[in-house]
Amino acid sequence: MNVFGRGFDSRRLHNAASIIEINDRDKLYKLRRGIPKLTLAFSVIFLFLSIFSAPQSQPILKISAQDYEKYSRVTIQSDLPLSSSVEQSDTFVFVKIRANTPFRIQRESFQSRFVKSVGWSRGSGSYMLTINTEHENFSCNSFKVQNPPRLIIEIHPNRGQDPPINETNRNMTNPQTVDPECIVIDPGHGGLEVGAKGKFGTLEKDITLAIGMKLAEIARQTRASNVVLTRDRDVDISLEDRSAIANNNKATVFISIHVNGSYRKGAAGPETYFLSKDATDEESRRLAFMENNSKEMENNIQAEDEDLIKMILWDMAQTAYLKQSSQLAEAIQSELNLLWGTRNRGIKQAPFKVLTGVACPAVLVEVAFLSNPQEERKLLTEEYQRKIAQAVYDGLAKFLRDNSR
Amino acid sequence: MDKKKLVILAALLLFLVVLVIIYLNLGGTIKPRPTQFISSSQDESESEKQNESTTIILFFPSEHDSLLHREEREIIPESSLALHAKRIISELLNGSQRGFLSPIPPGTRLRELYITKEGVAYVDFSREIMDKHLSGSSAEMSTIYSVVNSLSYNIKTIKKVFILIDGGEKKTLGGHINLTSPFQPIYDIVAK
Repeated sequence: MNVFGRGFDSRRLHNAASIIEINDRDKLYKLRRGIPKLTLAFSVIFLFLSIFSAPQSQPILKISAQDYEKYSRVTIQSDLPLSSSVEQSDTFVFVKIRANTPFRIQRESFQSRFVKSVGWSRGSGSYMLTINTEHENFSCNSFKVQNPPRLIIEIHPNRGQDPPINETNRNMTNPQTVDPECIVIDPGHGGLEVGAKGKFGTLEKDITLAIGMKLAEIARQTRASNVVLTRDRDVDISLEDRSAIANNNKATVFISIHVNGSYRKGAAGPETYFLSKDATDEESRRLAFMENNSKEMENNIQAEDEDLIKMILWDMAQTAYLKQSSQLAEAIQSELNLLWGTRNRGIKQAPFKVLTGVACPAVLVEVAFLSNPQEERKLLTEEYQRKIAQAVYDGLAKFLRDNSR
Repeated sequence: MDKKKLVILAALLLFLVVLVIIYLNLGGTIKPRPTQFISSSQDESESEKQNESTTIILFFPSEHDSLLHREEREIIPESSLALHAKRIISELLNGSQRGFLSPIPPGTRLRELYITKEGVAYVDFSREIMDKHLSGSSAEMSTIYSVVNSLSYNIKTIKKVFILIDGGEKKTLGGHINLTSPFQPIYDIVAK
């Protein structure tokens, strides 16, 4: 294997060396004395280079773990398609991953209730990952997702026998009546991804977090439902992970909070968006759906029928969600119009990335414009943040009321 | 130690560091999918004869409302669809002549433009379109749909527009609108 990775041309090094020789031909004796030093220098540079280039050329195996309400999930992500087997024994789950080339193992730090540690060792042509749960009584299931290739292992601690046989149907037809209500609130951006910037230096990520936290607080105080925040501090979370959090929690609704930015200085007022039907990224939505439901389906349907059925179910679900999403957007927008005193700008449809993978009614609320200095000033006050959170909550509550009948 | 040798060593090190930096920059970019592109030469015959100018319509955001506004412009038609499409984008990059706002960050270049047989235009911009973008949903919408509408309105064979950045697929411009699937034009957001 080429340790320098692709793109590195060793000939250039030789060229460089020969230039030195030509320049110093008359002082060859000096150079000769210097050769050991030069070789030393070269080897240092080589070492330096290989440190930099090795990570690029070697496929990465990224291991992370995350807790959900009732289970923990270990995700093994790779650049290459994974061929693996999963075995459960005692308090351990052993994952054997076939590998022709060596991987670079990247373990993300995690804290989890059911996953205590993840170790790894390398055998001939394979890697063995050892997940220690420190629980004797647990069940585990695994499935694969593409783009990027991931192996997902879910650890469920056993809490009596209640295998949800008909879970797929339950999800499809009427999420509100059977599943407990779960509101997923997504404060937009975070970490290095700052979002829009105001004239006074306000960052979108800070305002969305402040409003999102307040909205969660109001929802928790008012309703007996599960309220999940996709982030509760200043961290980077990918847009895919945000939708995955909604899907994994079997969200009833998904509300993403954002603050708008425009090239127009005069742009003002709230806007609520939902996904446009023709613009929906059907592929990614379908994928998210399959990830969510593959466990139940694997057991009783033939492989080739499986995809077709999933597709049909998915299209049905999507149409239903879009209609509900527009109702949710309408309800929230009219509350925000009341708050800001704006005439109805109406709800809008756009292909927002964060909404494309969410398998429930989902909206994105642009609470006001950060590019508008007057609105920026208001957004910085606790008072307005709370008022906005309340308005969004009121809209949400109306939607949930109307849809529970 | 010899001064000269030190200088040589320093130069070597610098050269290698530059090499490493170049290398690291080249890695990581995803190449666009190699679908069958209509090459520029294939459709030359179509519009070869016309020499008189034609009118194209560009779409720009305005300071006064949240809609896109039409701006007519006379150009000499190019010899192929792809070149014509490139011309439309470069006109858009040059900005409005009637005082509308510029939807694309300054410094952005058009790197490449392909039109597939299926009528999907792949428009590849330099990374300034993302790096210098004033993030925010409305700003992203006006950037994307000024490009998408301007292309599809003037070239009827373009049904969808896929925006690439720096030769690869990117998720979003600034965390909002999805760039991983092609756009269809939206004329609801155009001023009457």
